[in-house]
Amino acid sequence: MNLAKARGALLTFSGALGVALVLIALIMLSLDKAPLAAGRRFLDGVFGTPSARADVVMAALPMLLCAAGLLLTFTAGLWNIGVEGQVTMGAIFATIIARTIPRDVSEWGILAALILPAELLLAMLGGALWAGLTALLKLRGGINEIFGGVALNFISVNILLSLVNGPWRVGTFPQTAPFASAALLPRHPELRLSPLAIAIALIAFGAVFMALRGTRFGLALRAIGRNAKSAGILGVRVERHILWAMIACGALAGLAGAFQVLFTRGRLLPNISGGIGFMGVLIVLLVGVRAAWVLPVALFVATVPVGSLKLATSLDSSVQIDAALGNVFQGALVLAVLIGGGIRARLAARRKERAEHG
Amino acid sequence: MHVELHHITKTFGGLRANDALSLSFAEGRIYALLGENGAGKSTLMKILSGYQPPDSGQILIDGRAVTFETPADALRCGIGMLHQDPLDVPNLTVLDNFMLGRREGLLPKRKAARAALEQHAARLGFHLDPFRYVDSLTIGERQQLEIVRLLSLGARLLILDEPTTGISAEQKQTLFSSLKRLAAQEGMTIILVSHKLEDVAALCEEVYVLRGGKLVGHRHMPTSIDELVTLMFGQSLPPPARRQSALGEEILRAEAVSLTARRLTVRDLWLSVRRGEVIGLAGLDGSGQSDFLRACAGLQPLNGGRILIGGIPIRGKGYAELLRMGVAYAPSGRLEEGLVDGLTLTEHFALARAGGAWINWRAMTALAAEQIGRYNIRGMPHSPVQTLSGGNQQRALIALLPENLRLLLLEDPTRGLDVESTAWVWQQLLARRDQGAAILFTSPDLDEIVTYSDRVLVFCDGRATLVSDLAASTRNPAEQLGELIGGKVYEPR
Repeated sequence: MNLAKARGALLTFSGALGVALVLIALIMLSLDKAPLAAGRRFLDGVFGTPSARADVVMAALPMLLCAAGLLLTFTAGLWNIGVEGQVTMGAIFATIIARTIPRDVSEWGILAALILPAELLLAMLGGALWAGLTALLKLRGGINEIFGGVALNFISVNILLSLVNGPWRVGTFPQTAPFASAALLPRHPELRLSPLAIAIALIAFGAVFMALRGTRFGLALRAIGRNAKSAGILGVRVERHILWAMIACGALAGLAGAFQVLFTRGRLLPNISGGIGFMGVLIVLLVGVRAAWVLPVALFVATVPVGSLKLATSLDSSVQIDAALGNVFQGALVLAVLIGGGIRARLAARRKERAEHG
Repeated sequence: MHVELHHITKTFGGLRANDALSLSFAEGRIYALLGENGAGKSTLMKILSGYQPPDSGQILIDGRAVTFETPADALRCGIGMLHQDPLDVPNLTVLDNFMLGRREGLLPKRKAARAALEQHAARLGFHLDPFRYVDSLTIGERQQLEIVRLLSLGARLLILDEPTTGISAEQKQTLFSSLKRLAAQEGMTIILVSHKLEDVAALCEEVYVLRGGKLVGHRHMPTSIDELVTLMFGQSLPPPARRQSALGEEILRAEAVSLTARRLTVRDLWLSVRRGEVIGLAGLDGSGQSDFLRACAGLQPLNGGRILIGGIPIRGKGYAELLRMGVAYAPSGRLEEGLVDGLTLTEHFALARAGGAWINWRAMTALAAEQIGRYNIRGMPHSPVQTLSGGNQQRALIALLPENLRLLLLEDPTRGLDVESTAWVWQQLLARRDQGAAILFTSPDLDEIVTYSDRVLVFCDGRATLVSDLAASTRNPAEQLGELIGGKVYEPR
């Protein structure tokens, strides 16, 4: 991508950010809150301390994984809205092992080192299964991946609820018991941070990035996304590629689900995904399926839930707002970026026309 | 209505597409605008029909200077253009399409519109069912609809851009006779943009020839074809060479094949093709030729019977698998089904060539550069394919065909190409044949089929008849083929 284009994209993004901020400020003013003070508190809450920064990074990881997987499916022209259910299935599959691990595994020896890989692999299998099902519904049943995905999202949520209300329930609330530390992703001794999780997410993202840039698989996905018929005539096995793109995305979403249960929550409970699959969709839409931008944008998007939670739990009533306002901000931002992109494309077309006729 | 173009100049970047062109079109006459691809015909006609303004020069209608901002302006002045690919809305009915662009109130008057449609269609001798959906019509019928629409909107000068591409011989006859009647009885001016000399000879009274953006000749018909070719290209072209080598083993076998085409079902088709053979598939547009080609490529299911390639039944095999068996299919819609809009030439070669999981971009760029040189494609390795001209897209499609082919399935391989590009394409294809590939191809151009085919499979009325003695025919072979397509029973001698 050339420099002028990158600058244009950055300009659009800043403009959209400004619009979304003004909107949020207006809402806050109408509620008799102090936007500027809230803004300061927000920034402090996401950047002010090492622990705040760690929270943002850890919140960004599952979104990054989902966004990485969605880069593959969006490139192939697939709207994998079922990513949310794939996250949920990943969380459930990771729990199958995690809930059986006892507090003390000192006598397991070498087996103890296999707990975490087994959990993560099973989670990837769960996500991949759900995504593969969506792909088969599309390829064999002619059901659009959006509708299949939405249906499977519902089913996955109900499987989750029946498990935490039924056989897996421990105590009065619908949730499992907290998992033993041997079952969890290892933590940094002082911060709420898991270096291993960061490494896994970065490697996964790097692999997707390389696959799209330098492999036959990535090129085939691009060709399918632009014109599946022509891709087939050029010798690409279209159905097989669609299936594998979906499965890869599902595996990454499943990994994100595992991160939710094995780090963020430490147990399985309803709404375990918390919408991170949809956040992944927003991120990929925000960057316009340009892989290089996903990393910074995922970090940026992750500040919103972290920061708005800090505001929601603030004792100062002049800045205390509901955490839902964070979602309003995110929605407004995505909308503004998409509209901004549309305006920019229109301006560019008009400029080109003028250059041709002028 | 008398239309004059005065010193029209249009440049694109450094290219002078139209260089001070002055042409004059009188009322009631039929003109041809001849020239090879890139000679400037389309640019000039787009200027005349309001799609783009000239850099300099004037358009005069009955001596009065006019300027057009949009095609609608041009149509209001009586100038209408029929495009090569009909600009209609496929998922609306004939009547809906006819009503588009009419200047009416908020509530369209369907009854009046239908009456107008039928009246104008009758005036031209066309039969159009107002309630059929446009996507079920043939290209020829869509063209008729567009002509009716332009006439009803008051066109007095009609520009037709390559109107005989993709329509049947019968539809061409209907079109030409109604155009002649329009000119003679109603004083319409007709401009035929074409590179097909036989069309020009059959229809036109005067010919303007363009070459490299300049007007190089103005002739009154009849003028000899040779003279026109010389004007277009600067020299005449030699005829193609016939096959020299002996035939190889059987590569394609169709046994009692039955398949569904757009309008009819083809039944009981038998065929055996050996390596080194060229088989032309002839028939009216939509009679099953293209469907048979697609079936041989594993892209369309059969109703019955079976197809074997190299002795192996292809049932259940996809195109990617057949490609590995040495079968390649090239469709006529290049950007719809063949090339990927938005991908570069290098990326196309990387996709089409087998290899490991990782792409060596440097090697692929080198390969693309080499193929660009070898196939004389006007473009760069990093050029997105949609920026290439139609002829160069066809060259790219041929360059993308794998080496060591055993069977080549081509749908109208020279669609929209001029004489020189057509000759070049066939030179490449015949080289493949000499290396041992069998070729099956469709074409609406009977002369092309007669020129290149060893045998011809004629599709008519749900039957496919093999004609193997065309070359030995004493009569005009194209004429004999035309009769067979029209339904005459074949009697082998």
